[in-house]
Amino acid sequence: MLSFLPPPNDYVLIAVILGMPLLGAFVNGIWGNRLGKRAVRLMALSAVGASFVASLIAFMSLAQLSEQDKGAHVKLVWNAWEWMHTTGGQGATVPIEVKFSIDQLSGVMMLIVTGVGFLIHLYATSYMEKDKSYARFFAYLNLFIFAMLVLILGDNLPLLFVGWEGVGLCSYLLIGFWYENPANAAAGKKAFIANRIGDFGLLCAMFLLVQYTGALDWNGIANGASSLVHPGEVYRVHVWPLGGGHYEGFLHFLQPDKPYTISAATAVGLMLLLGCSGKSAQIPLYVWLPDAMAGPTPVSALIHAATMVTAGIYLICRLSFVFVLSPFTMMMIAIAGALTALFAATIAVVQNDIKKVLAYSTISQLGFMFLGVGVGAFTAGFFHVFTHAFFKACLFLCAGSVIHAMHARIHDDDKAQDVRNMGGLRKWLPLTHWTFAAATAAIIGLPFTSGFFSKDEILYRAFVDRTVNPENGVGLLKKLGTFAPPVWIGPVLYAMAVAAATLTAFYMCRLYFLTFWGDFKGWTVGRPSLLARHEIAAPHAEPDHVDDDNDDHDAGHVHHEDPATPGYAPHESPWQMTIPLIILAAFSLFAGVLNPGFGILKERPMDHWLEPVFKAASEKAVIFAHNNDASWAEHMEWPLALGGIGAFAIGTTLAWWVYISQRGAPAQRLAQSLPGLYRLVLDKWRIDELYEATVIAAVDSLAETAAAVDKSVIDGILARFTSLVVAASGTILRAFQNGVVHVYAAMMVVGLAVMGWFFAVPHPNATVVDAGHDDYVVTAAPGVGYAYRWDADGDGKPDKKDFGVDTTLKVHVEPGKSQTVNLEVRNSFGLVRTKTIHVARPEEPTSSL
Amino acid sequence: MIPAEHYVILSALLFVVGGVGFLVRRNVLITLMSIEVMLNASNLALVAFNRSRLAHVATSSYVVQSHTGQVFAFFIIAAEAAEVAVGLAIVLAFYRLRRTVRSDEADLLKN
Amino acid sequence: MNTAGTIYFYACALFALAGALGVVASKNPIRGAMGLLLLILSVAGLFLALHAQFLAAIQLIVYAGAIIILFLFVIMLLGPSASTPSDRRGIAARVFGGGLFGIAGLAALWAVVSAAMASHRAMPMPAPDDSFGGIDAFGSVLFADALVPFELSSGLLMVAVLGAMAVARGRQGQKSMSKNEQEVADSAFPVEKARELPGQTTGVFSHEIPAETPKESAS
Repeated sequence: MLSFLPPPNDYVLIAVILGMPLLGAFVNGIWGNRLGKRAVRLMALSAVGASFVASLIAFMSLAQLSEQDKGAHVKLVWNAWEWMHTTGGQGATVPIEVKFSIDQLSGVMMLIVTGVGFLIHLYATSYMEKDKSYARFFAYLNLFIFAMLVLILGDNLPLLFVGWEGVGLCSYLLIGFWYENPANAAAGKKAFIANRIGDFGLLCAMFLLVQYTGALDWNGIANGASSLVHPGEVYRVHVWPLGGGHYEGFLHFLQPDKPYTISAATAVGLMLLLGCSGKSAQIPLYVWLPDAMAGPTPVSALIHAATMVTAGIYLICRLSFVFVLSPFTMMMIAIAGALTALFAATIAVVQNDIKKVLAYSTISQLGFMFLGVGVGAFTAGFFHVFTHAFFKACLFLCAGSVIHAMHARIHDDDKAQDVRNMGGLRKWLPLTHWTFAAATAAIIGLPFTSGFFSKDEILYRAFVDRTVNPENGVGLLKKLGTFAPPVWIGPVLYAMAVAAATLTAFYMCRLYFLTFWGDFKGWTVGRPSLLARHEIAAPHAEPDHVDDDNDDHDAGHVHHEDPATPGYAPHESPWQMTIPLIILAAFSLFAGVLNPGFGILKERPMDHWLEPVFKAASEKAVIFAHNNDASWAEHMEWPLALGGIGAFAIGTTLAWWVYISQRGAPAQRLAQSLPGLYRLVLDKWRIDELYEATVIAAVDSLAETAAAVDKSVIDGILARFTSLVVAASGTILRAFQNGVVHVYAAMMVVGLAVMGWFFAVPHPNATVVDAGHDDYVVTAAPGVGYAYRWDADGDGKPDKKDFGVDTTLKVHVEPGKSQTVNLEVRNSFGLVRTKTIHVARPEEPTSSL
Repeated sequence: MIPAEHYVILSALLFVVGGVGFLVRRNVLITLMSIEVMLNASNLALVAFNRSRLAHVATSSYVVQSHTGQVFAFFIIAAEAAEVAVGLAIVLAFYRLRRTVRSDEADLLKN
Repeated sequence: MNTAGTIYFYACALFALAGALGVVASKNPIRGAMGLLLLILSVAGLFLALHAQFLAAIQLIVYAGAIIILFLFVIMLLGPSASTPSDRRGIAARVFGGGLFGIAGLAALWAVVSAAMASHRAMPMPAPDDSFGGIDAFGSVLFADALVPFELSSGLLMVAVLGAMAVARGRQGQKSMSKNEQEVADSAFPVEKARELPGQTTGVFSHEIPAETPKESAS
């Protein structure tokens, strides 16, 4: 059927998948302003659309290929060119090629990126309609799709890193899209810098990998992965926490006498964890994601919900076989994930900005994903990535639709997004309401939605799975033993995850109720007054209305800031915005069919599809608790699921009670009774301020010191001192130039006298040349009217009495000895000068080494 | 017959006198005259050397012994006449500018 | 040893040295010019002793006949300002320069003389031909072997004439400065007026220097 497609080992369709968004970015970026909005729109949509169609075709090829090689880890590969090569730690050459591959894992990811990307592009064509930098937006958005695809499809770590940096760049560009507002630019910078800290970790991991495994592409690392833990002492990494010094007394406890020894796999894993924490917003590098909400809503939906932030989990899944070699790292990933999930959920409970709630919700869900992959449930974690893309994108786009409606009257960004100004919007935004409700149902885990299946799978696996080192009992590890996570870690993680799920249900329902139910608190809805009608017809003429915040804007309506004045009701969004919402909501409700748990389907499709990818990882590394008791694990399935359902039920009911039946009164009372705690949580636990006071302050003081040194030392000494020297010498020299001819003449005479002295007095000089056979020839330098007299034995008495004209003298010198020769020169004026010449011969070398 | 060395010694003495006069005197006219003295001294030396080394030349039909030194002295006289003319013109221009013939005053290139 | 020749030589040498010293040591430039004249005449005499008859004649004609006259003209043009009273400013550099030069020169002279005397070798003095130094011999060398320098020197003289005229003439078309202009020029470049020699009156020489050549000149 698909025989006209390229062969799997040279699958050039990948070039189309990658090239179309790049082309779109290029055209829109360079000529976008001249092409006009319609052309820009068409270019961007067709670029991503073509990429999506090509991805579908590629996926079908992959499916067909996977059918043929039953259960094998198949790949569609395209090697574009060789970028460079280097020498690995094994001594072999490591080629780094621009090589893309689609396997089962990246195939699914590719479909998510291009599919959801296309829907968001469609949404953005209407959302950004009134923006003056329309072309730039779509150029950046296409560029982002390209970079994300490079990240996903890259076959080796350097190429992935190119994509990694590319999405970081596009994130920066898009967060600070409305850069005239300095707060937006600062948010973009914060995102980039936090990502950069993570990138350091990724780079260190790359260096370690190329050193230990001798390869940087997935196949190569897999082949060489065992050398991360094998076989001897040389493969262990010694870590000195504070450098190699020796501290006395009080500080002794900081620095042990012997370094910590960790395996190379742990080192690589921890470095990769740092990298993924930066990109996927885990503790401690999550601080950029809430600020990133300063960008336009489609950006938040695409980058900070569906695709970029999942790159970290993708990397962990991709290098799963490396992570499982270090159970310590797996435990750290799981703990980081659970902590982040709980922490972010607590913050989301009290936030009032609709986008901020969703941002913290994203961080929390990313924590769930990390928890999933951290306990070894790679498929579960990845499935949560899959479902999260749909429901989170849907949530963000709905939020954008709501903001779009609110902006008709309220132009201040913060106020338009403030949930306290909304309420009862379900009357006027029915489509948005139902899609929001569907996505909320998915995220809180309403049974049989996609989110329910993915989240509950993670909860279940967190409890029952244990990770062990697959190389346990082999070689050195037999002697040293390996780290195994403690037995109580499973239940603890489960409890934290259930708590986070409860909070998730609570705050999402809170958001839903406050936005769509109750009374509308934005402005008075009704027919605008006749006075207002006139101003609708006339163009904007109010001087008090400052129209400079470039944001979600709806020009053409008259804007009254006074909420008491009646205005038109909030309106539903156009089809370009609602169709994507509907599609995404449908997916978030029904995508669970792809990996349902609880034995609903005998063979779970996504598990089966991804099984070859994670086989190497999960085969020996992930076992059940209680000594790999499979039946116990099965029996625990339903009870643990009850925990998940209970979380959903409790959270939803509590939210209903607080916000619908009691109309928010309990929340107010709680906030008033614990004002300090409330303010602390509202201020995001003041983590940003903590960073500001410690890390950033340290960097600032370092910068100030450097500036002071630069000013005083470098400018003062190097620059000004040298110029002072030059000026002073100039002043001194200038005194000689007094303009009087006689003084100049006198100086000429001085020069003449020196020259005359040089010519009038003889200057004896001689060179020594090795003539072989232990002989040296001493040749005197010639001069006008010179006569020479030699003294070959250096005893002070010349050989001949008269001055002759022979200029050479042969001297025989034994090895290791030296000889002194005197030369007397007389010039025509009769003046005689003497020079002593030493002729030395070095010792013969006794041995040649 | 006076040996040629005497002429050379005399030329050297005259040269030293002229040189010292050039370096010490401030009056521009006297300076120029000292230059004349030096040039005359060198002419004398040239002619003396020419007299002492009379190589036989075969180039021209008439002349048997070389007159190189004398011809050189001839050209020196000619060039030096030109130099004096221009030098005195400069002295006049200088005088018109500064109303003096002291070389100290010609210090516009100071510093 | 020819006694007359010896006396002749020593007389000419003495006069030459006297003339040179006169040039160098005189306050009055006229005296200096006269000393120069004496030197020239002595050197011409010495040329005669060296069998350079033509050159001696040229020396007299060009030097004594033209250059000295030129000097005298310029001195007369400058008038009393031609002589500068001595003062001690800047004497250090001058004395240093002159002293160093003198010492160096005399030292070099002494070195050469002592070396030459130590070598006991005299400069050769072959007998000259009859035509040596005469105008025929000179002319045949000048216009055969030394033709190029000859032509070049004629070009040099032409350029020198033009240059001297250009420099000495001043601004074309500008009349000679009137008394007021002279005062303005004086105030622009003030010259110490305390240079008047004691007992000097306005002087017999002209004060004004024509800024351009006389119109009736044929140039």
